[in-house]
Amino acid sequence: MRAARFLVFYLFAILIFQACGKEEIDDKKPEIDINFSGAFPVNCDTIYFGEPYLFNAVFKDNAELGAYSIEVHHNFDHHAHSTEVTVCELWPVKPAVNPYVFIKSYSIPSGSTVYAPNLEMVISTGNANGEFDEGDYHFFISLTDKEGWSTQKGLSIKILKREL
Amino acid sequence: MQLFLRRYLILYILLTASFSSVYSQNFELSGKVSDENSKPLPGALIVLMPGQKAVATDAMGLFSLKDLQKGDYTMKISFLGYKTESRQVTLHDNLHLGISMTPQRTTLQEVEIRDNSIETRKRENALHSEVVNDAFLRQNLGGSLMKSLERLPGVSTIDIGAGQSKPVIRGLGFNRVVVVENGVKHEGQQWGSDHGLEIDQFAVESIEVIKGPASLMYGSDAIGGIVDLKQSGIPANNTIGGSVDFIGKTNNDLIGSSVSVLTRKNSLYLSLRATVLDYADYKVPTDSVDIYSFRAPLFRNNLRNTAGNEQNIHASFGLVKSNYVSRFFISRISSINGFFANAHGLEPRRVDTALHDASSRDINYPYQEVKHFKAVNKSEWTKNGLRIESELGFQRNYRQEYSQYVDHGYMPPIFPDSMDFPSDLEREFEKHIYSANLKGSYTFNEKLLVTSGLSFEHQNNRIGGRGFMIPAYRQTAGGAFLYGKYTLSERSFLHLGLRTDVGMINTDAYNDWYPSPEETLNGTNDTFLLRAPDLTKSFSNLSWSVGYNYNFDNLFLKANLGKSFRMPIAKELAANGVNYHHFSYEVGNPDLNPEISYQLDISTEYSGNGIAVGFTPFVNYFTNYIYLNPGFEHDQLYGNGNQIFNYTESSVFRYGGEIHAHFDLGKTLKSGVIGEYVYSEQLSGDKKGFTLPFSPPASLLLNLKYVPKNFNFIEKPYFSIDYKLTAPQNKIVPPEEKTKGYQVINLSAGADIKIKKQLISVNIQLQNLMNQKYFNHMSYYRLINVPEPGRSLIVGISIPFEHDINE
Repeated sequence: MRAARFLVFYLFAILIFQACGKEEIDDKKPEIDINFSGAFPVNCDTIYFGEPYLFNAVFKDNAELGAYSIEVHHNFDHHAHSTEVTVCELWPVKPAVNPYVFIKSYSIPSGSTVYAPNLEMVISTGNANGEFDEGDYHFFISLTDKEGWSTQKGLSIKILKREL
Repeated sequence: MQLFLRRYLILYILLTASFSSVYSQNFELSGKVSDENSKPLPGALIVLMPGQKAVATDAMGLFSLKDLQKGDYTMKISFLGYKTESRQVTLHDNLHLGISMTPQRTTLQEVEIRDNSIETRKRENALHSEVVNDAFLRQNLGGSLMKSLERLPGVSTIDIGAGQSKPVIRGLGFNRVVVVENGVKHEGQQWGSDHGLEIDQFAVESIEVIKGPASLMYGSDAIGGIVDLKQSGIPANNTIGGSVDFIGKTNNDLIGSSVSVLTRKNSLYLSLRATVLDYADYKVPTDSVDIYSFRAPLFRNNLRNTAGNEQNIHASFGLVKSNYVSRFFISRISSINGFFANAHGLEPRRVDTALHDASSRDINYPYQEVKHFKAVNKSEWTKNGLRIESELGFQRNYRQEYSQYVDHGYMPPIFPDSMDFPSDLEREFEKHIYSANLKGSYTFNEKLLVTSGLSFEHQNNRIGGRGFMIPAYRQTAGGAFLYGKYTLSERSFLHLGLRTDVGMINTDAYNDWYPSPEETLNGTNDTFLLRAPDLTKSFSNLSWSVGYNYNFDNLFLKANLGKSFRMPIAKELAANGVNYHHFSYEVGNPDLNPEISYQLDISTEYSGNGIAVGFTPFVNYFTNYIYLNPGFEHDQLYGNGNQIFNYTESSVFRYGGEIHAHFDLGKTLKSGVIGEYVYSEQLSGDKKGFTLPFSPPASLLLNLKYVPKNFNFIEKPYFSIDYKLTAPQNKIVPPEEKTKGYQVINLSAGADIKIKKQLISVNIQLQNLMNQKYFNHMSYYRLINVPEPGRSLIVGISIPFEHDINE
């Protein structure tokens, strides 16, 4: 009986102890900012095959940024994961023949809370199977912080051949 | 196997020898058990407590228990198909009793929750359990069986839409809760958060929920607890009976019916049941849903494409003999249900709304089709205080998930026609499960009841479809346990248990069906990536538990300390694929150890005049909780640029408990309070200081129930109001979202209506009375901001029937 009473008391003690003295954990997600002039690409932008462009966005986190990745895949079937509110004019649905695919992960210098990638990129005009299809694509950015919180941005873009 | 069998035998002998001291003995308790027509009932079981001395009646219905000490005993007389009798006897001389049993009208039967056998279990078992009967289930019939259990203290559910949920006991779910049906572990794809439980809610008559580590009886996985589903359903002799049930629900326009027929002729019985359910998209009190910052408009508040249907059939038959009962349970559960179209594979926009919104009842892509077949034999044999039980089971779980082909990552833009699966088959799992359990109980003298058992399970899981999440695998596990319950005094009991388990898992290698460009020193190579290696792992574990009960007249106290474990599952060991619901690339870890948990449970309950108060706290420590940890890196080859989530182990400390109280505010008015709280913290690893995923928020349920007297042809009427307050959940772990607190009001009412000799049981519920828009932290759809279902009226009607068969 006394043992039982002691156990109940012990439980309460743990409860009270745990309720106090909590260390703060980071529960804030990182941010992808493309809301400034010069940001590229933004929703509905166009990139041309074979022409270099600058990926320009600003990444922010309250504690420490983790890493980011960029993925580009076609949207000829009008599937969607755009996170933007503006709706872009899409070309009619068409079958993919040789769509451009790009997947790459990038690191961010450790200790950063703000980081602007300023990445120079170029989309080649084709591969072993021939020229890439032009049309609607998704430009997908995924950003993490060191704690593992993540933010995504799915942008609708067009990748076109420059009319000569 | 041989080695641990031998070890177990030695242990058995040692334990037996140490407790088999001889006691002074004097009296004899004898009697005759007869049925409602005064005919002798052979094979009725008589259990005498304390001491758990048991005997069965002979062909003349006679029984005799010799060598008994003077004192007060509780005698329990049971016979399948008859109501269990409980009698208090005081022995100071030889005693002869005449006992008449009354048949149990299983279809009408309403066992009071506080009946004697349950009360005895509460007072004599070391772990805390909650038992609900068919009346409770009828009164709380909802979307799914597990949803009906959510009202119990310490029980919550992880929901996938309106029709599917998985049980969570004190914050632990998935493979940490074992669901047992007719003695055999239910095996589906428990690991999947979008996979519900394949159980027919109409076919279950009583449920016992054991809170706390129950590895001792059930082996691996029972770390969080057990949901034990029972179908008693043996009709009285020479009768044919059954029931016709209807259910209707306004929120998702659900209509359903279940019909059962039962009959028995002497020692043979047969029972059949068929259930059909059909429901439309469910409604949420919002006209749009924000999915990763895209706003998806909803048509008429319908959660697009969440309609479904279910068809189930059951047959049970068997032999009920004097000291031998053997029963077969065969069932097939089959369902199709749609997934919320805007959420699957994160395609919130450009869903073909014209197609999806044309009808709220049709099921389009994405959807899943599940078939679960189960055949179980459960046998019991009783003689002279020895009781042997066996269960044999076969299950086939067949799950297919269909969605439109999307070339994620490096998949080819056009689905090749040379594949051996259709382009729209995203995933397929076919699992065969073979189970066997053997258990024996023996009362050595008045003081010691020893139960020991063996269990075995083999699983064979095949996979198919275009998406890869877990490999195909075979898994075999076996265990042996020994449990002793020692009566220290009339009021106190000591429990000791020991169990040893061994298991082995073998996963098959899996290569992608499409090439990915791998960057090597010699340039880029197109390779069919090896997602999972051929892997063989074996595990073993020794678990134990110690329990103690002390009973006062109005108060009981119990404590249990136990070690339990869980074998890592195929997904934890060998997952290697992208989960497009969460942008996560999930990677298994073949070096994981069996998860070990230590838990102390305390339970106390006071019940006096018109008042009952219970408090059930627990403290729990995991040496290595297995956990899908989101890292900060991305994988460009295997993970298609998605964030890497690794299965890791971390030590975890948890505590919490439940409090429940009932007060009678007069003869017809009752009130109740149920509160629950769980705290979890990771003590090591990458997420040190964080909680665990799917942590249930604290909640408080206030209930007021008005139970007026029978009125004319209206019997057992009741009116009840539930006011549930749920605290916000701000303790989260990536990728969760904080969830605000909420308050919901549910009303219910019902009665048995008697027209001539026919009873009709009617139960009505009005859920979410205020049509409150709120989010459930435990919902699978929480991350994409789908609120819980809006106001819903549920009507359940049950019409039992029974006729005697003329001889």
